[in-house]
Amino acid sequence: MNARRALWLAGSFLVAAGFVWLWQWIADHRLISPVFLPGPDRAWAALVKGMTDGDLAEKLFATIRRMIYGWLLASLVGIALGAAIGTSKVLREYLAPMFEFLRPLPASSIIPVAIALLGLSEPMALVVIAFGSLWPVLLATIHGFSAVEPRLYEVGRALHLSRPAVILKIALPSASPDILAGMRLGLTVALILSVVCEMLAGRDGLGNWILLSARAFRAPDLYAGVILLGALGYVSSVAISAVEHRLLIWRDRAR
Amino acid sequence: MERTDLHGLAGQGACAVRPAAIEFREVGLAYSGKPILADLSLAVGKGEIVCVIGPSGCGKTTALRVAGGLVRPGSGSVTVGGRPITGPRRDVAIVFQDYGKALLPWRTAAGNVSLALEAAGAPMRERKVRIHALLEKVGLHGHADKYPTEMSGGMQQRLQIARCLAQEPSVLLMDEPFGALDAMTRQTLQDEMLSIVAETGATVFFVTHDLEEAIYLGDRVIGLLPNPGRIGTIAEVGLPRPRNQLETREMPEFLRLRRALFDFIEKAEG
Amino acid sequence: MSRTAKALAIPAALLVAAEIAVRLSGTASLAVAPPSSVVVALLAALGDGTMLAATRDTLACAFGGLFLGGAIGLVLGLLFGLVRPLDRLMELTVEAIRPIPSVALIPIGMLSLGFGYGFEIAIVAFACVWTMLIMTRAAIAGIEPRLLEVSRALRLSTPQRIFKIVIPAALPRIIVAFRLAAGFALVVAVTVEIAANPQGMGYGILIAQQSLSPQLMLAYLLWIGLVGYGLNVLLSLAQKKLLGRAAMVEVRR
Repeated sequence: MNARRALWLAGSFLVAAGFVWLWQWIADHRLISPVFLPGPDRAWAALVKGMTDGDLAEKLFATIRRMIYGWLLASLVGIALGAAIGTSKVLREYLAPMFEFLRPLPASSIIPVAIALLGLSEPMALVVIAFGSLWPVLLATIHGFSAVEPRLYEVGRALHLSRPAVILKIALPSASPDILAGMRLGLTVALILSVVCEMLAGRDGLGNWILLSARAFRAPDLYAGVILLGALGYVSSVAISAVEHRLLIWRDRAR
Repeated sequence: MERTDLHGLAGQGACAVRPAAIEFREVGLAYSGKPILADLSLAVGKGEIVCVIGPSGCGKTTALRVAGGLVRPGSGSVTVGGRPITGPRRDVAIVFQDYGKALLPWRTAAGNVSLALEAAGAPMRERKVRIHALLEKVGLHGHADKYPTEMSGGMQQRLQIARCLAQEPSVLLMDEPFGALDAMTRQTLQDEMLSIVAETGATVFFVTHDLEEAIYLGDRVIGLLPNPGRIGTIAEVGLPRPRNQLETREMPEFLRLRRALFDFIEKAEG
Repeated sequence: MSRTAKALAIPAALLVAAEIAVRLSGTASLAVAPPSSVVVALLAALGDGTMLAATRDTLACAFGGLFLGGAIGLVLGLLFGLVRPLDRLMELTVEAIRPIPSVALIPIGMLSLGFGYGFEIAIVAFACVWTMLIMTRAAIAGIEPRLLEVSRALRLSTPQRIFKIVIPAALPRIIVAFRLAAGFALVVAVTVEIAANPQGMGYGILIAQQSLSPQLMLAYLLWIGLVGYGLNVLLSLAQKKLLGRAAMVEVRR
C-alpha cells in the first residue's frame, strides 16, 4: 500500500519535472520572449541570489508577519464575536442579515477607504487584512456555535456545568471543525490581501517586490517572488492542515 | 383517572411502605396551548424501579424531562428526595436514548466520564481512579482511549451510563435507553443495568415503549394515556428478583401482565 | 418585531448615527461623508452612466474569467475524476501551482498581456480553475458506488456510463462549485482593478479616493456591495432552479 503510494508520488514528481523541463525548453528556444518568461534556471538563480545576498528573505518575512498578524487579529475577533452571536438567537436575528449583505463584498474594495482613513501606513494594511479574513472566520464560527447539538447543552445542564464550562467544554470543541475551516479560508484571504496592500501602498514585502520587478522588467526576480508566494501559500495550508489534523483527531477516527 | 389494579395490590399503598424518592404532584404542562400532561400525580419509592409505558404522544418523555429539571411544569411540582426540582440536579442523572448525540465526540470514553467529574469539581488525581472504576463497572475496561465514534451502539450507551453513575445519583432517569439497540445487546444491557442498580440502590424512572422490557425491569409499570398525558393504569410486578431473561419471561405472572398491558396499549391507541 | 424590521434595525441605526456624527463634526473629511450625500453621489454616478460602464467592465471580466477558468477546471476535473492514474500523476504539479495567490500573477499579466480585458480575465480564470477542478473531481469521487455497480450490471459502454451516470450524478455538486467560483470571480476582478487594471468598479473606487471625493468613494463601495449581493442572490436562485431540475433529471434516469 505504502510502496504503491510512493511509486505514484515518484511518478507525479517525474511529471512535474517534465513540466519544468518543458518550461526550460520553451525559454531556451525563445518561443516566448525572455522579457516575459525567463527559464526556470534564471528564476531559480534569482531566487537563490535574492535569498542569500539580496533582501528577498527580508521581504518574505515582512509579508509573513503582515499576513499572520492580520489573520490572528481576525481570528481572535471572529471567534469571540462569532461565539457571542452564534449562542444568542436575538443577536443572530439582528445581525445575520447584515452579514449576509456584507459577505459577498470583495474585501479589497475597502482598501481605498482604509487608505483615505489611515494613509499608506502599516495599520492600514493590518486593518484591511484583518477585515478581509474576519468574514470567513466570523461566519464559520457563528455557524459552528449555532449548530451545536441541543442534546449536548442538555447534558451540560444535567451535569450542572457552569456557563463558562459549557462554552469551553461543549460549544467550543463542537464548533471547532467549522472554526478551523473558517480560519483556513481566512489565512488564504490574508495572504492575498497582504500582497495587494503591499502592491498598492508600497509597503515592503513580496507584493511590492514582484510589482517593482515587473515594472523594471526584471522577469527572473518577478518569478522568484511568485515562486516564494506559492511556497508561502503551500506551507501555510499544510501548517493549518496539520493543526486541524491534531485538533480534530476524533473526527478522523470515526468508524 | 381510570385505575385498573391489575395485581390486586393497591398501588398507592405499596408506595407508602417506602419513603418517596420522586414525587409528581398534580403536574400539568402545555406546549403552545396543547396540553401534554394533566394532573399527573405519582410517587416512586426509594430504590424502586418504575417503568412508564404508553402510546406515542402520551407525554412519558416529557414527564421524565420534568423530573430531570430540563422542563418546568406549567402547574404542580416534582420533588426528588423531598426537595422540589427547579432545574437539573447532580443527584438526578439522565440517560438519553440518543447516545450518539449525548456523548462528546471529541472526547475519549475516559474523557466523557471525566466531564461529569469535572462538573462536580472532583480533584484531578481522584478522577483517573474513579474513571477507571466506572468504566470497569459498565464493562468498558480497555476501551478508555476510544472515541465514541469508534464504539458500537451498546458500548456508547454503556459509556453514557458510566457518565451518569459518575454523578453518584440517587435517581436515574432513563429515556428509552435501549430502544435503538439490537435485541441481544438490549437484553445484556438490561441485566447489567439491573445489577448496577441493585448495587447502588438508586431509584429508577424508566421510560420505554417495549412492554416486555417494562415488566422485566420494573417493580411497577405505569401506563399513560395520551391527549393529555395522564395515568391510565398502574401494574404491580410481582416477579421475583434477580430476574432471568429466560425464566422470568416464561413465568405465568409475566405473561399475564404482558397480556393486560398489551390490551391497555391497544385500547389507549384506539 | 418582524424579521425584516429586526434585520434592518441595526444598519438603519448605524446609518443615522453616521449621518448625525458627520453633520455635527462639521469638518470636511477626506475619508468620510454623510450617508445622505453618499446616496446623492451614487444616484449622480448612476445617472451619468460612468458607474454603469464600470459595472459592465467588471462583470464582463468576472464572467469571462469565470467561463474560461470554469470550463478549464471542469474539463480537468472530469478528466482527473474519471482517469485516476492521470489524477495521481498530476498531483504534485497541481499542488505546486494551486497555492499561488491569484494576485501574485498580476505583475506577470501586466508584463505579458498589458492592461485591459484580457489581463483581468486571465487572472480571474486562474482563480476559478482550482475551485472547479477540485470540486468536480471530488464530485466524481463521491458518486454512490452502487450507481457505478448498476452501470456495470447494465453493461453500459464507457461513454454511456459517463453521460448517463457519472455526469448527472456529479452535476449537483458541480453546480455548487460553479456558484462558489462565480463568487470568487467578482472578488478577484475587483481586486485586480484596485491593484492594477485601470478599468471597472475597482478602479472607480480607487480614483474616487485619489481625487479626494469620499462621497463618490463610499458610493462605489455601496454599489460594489449591492452588485455582489445581487449576484449572490441571482446565483442562489439559479442554483435552486438548476438543482431542482438536475434532481428531476436524475430521478427520471
